[in-house]
Amino acid sequence: MTDELLVVRAQLGERAALAELVRRWHPRVWTYTRRMLDAGRADDVTQEIWLAVVRGLPRLREPGRFTPWLFTVARRAVADRLREEYGRAEEPAAAEPAAGDPVEAMVDRASLVAGLAALPVAEREVLVLFYLEELTVEECAQVCGIPPGTVKSRLNRARRLLARRLRESHG
Amino acid sequence: MDEEPRPTAQEMIDRLAGPLSPWSRVRAVVALVAGLAGAAFVGALWSSEEALPGRTHLAFALFLAFCLAWAAYGGWLVTRRVPLFATDRVIAAWLAVVASAATTALVAAFTTPPLPALAVGGAFLAAALLLAVRAHTRRAALLRRKHLLERRPAPD
Repeated sequence: MTDELLVVRAQLGERAALAELVRRWHPRVWTYTRRMLDAGRADDVTQEIWLAVVRGLPRLREPGRFTPWLFTVARRAVADRLREEYGRAEEPAAAEPAAGDPVEAMVDRASLVAGLAALPVAEREVLVLFYLEELTVEECAQVCGIPPGTVKSRLNRARRLLARRLRESHG
Repeated sequence: MDEEPRPTAQEMIDRLAGPLSPWSRVRAVVALVAGLAGAAFVGALWSSEEALPGRTHLAFALFLAFCLAWAAYGGWLVTRRVPLFATDRVIAAWLAVVASAATTALVAAFTTPPLPALAVGGAFLAAALLLAVRAHTRRAALLRRKHLLERRPAPD
């Protein structure tokens, strides 16, 4: 069953369809919040996201655009949490590692995650949306509320920063 | 770092049961509709009475404020806290139609002359009917979309 059909059925009020939608998208929503925040906050914010999604779903006009809408809701919840805690989302959070464990850093995947966590929020966000969540550039632009050209430039900068970070951690 | 989502999807579904329960939606709609109907009824009675003592005015004002507070609470629940899906909106709209009609009939029976009450009640009834039509249109559009998508072959 496609996401669009699930969304339409959920909008009609079918509880089973809504549960299936949560089951299908929860891991990806959690992955996004976990890459943006530390574990404790990611769990709280994931719940806030799903509450906002359930409350906003009846008003979603284009069920076919569920994915960018979902990540727009998720992004808003993450940004609200960062703003709440740091006053401004960009600067202090940029240096805050969202995930980091010295044991895990022994393997490549963990290095990648740690490198990702060390990126500034704006760059980390587009990298997570584009590579981990597999959104298109246009969808990333819609979610972040920026032009597609800015998404591309942020992706380039994010790749450069990540590559530098990985080189540093390996040697 | 292969972490598992916490809470799990099933735990999240369980946590969403509260806002999604039929009772929370019924409570929100009933608070809104009953508050509005009560406020209209009390307001009409108050305006049709002449030469009331000061304490009675105070009692009417308090009662009106009480009804409006319930209406505001119901409105906040319906717009902010409780999701009203397409089928819920149809039911809620018909509840509003019934409540508007009943309140109008009651107010018209208790006030003299009944014309102002009928005019105000008629406006409420028209608004409720408009909501019902919109709710049916939206639900019908979603049902059409659902049937269309069900007939379409699934993408590979």
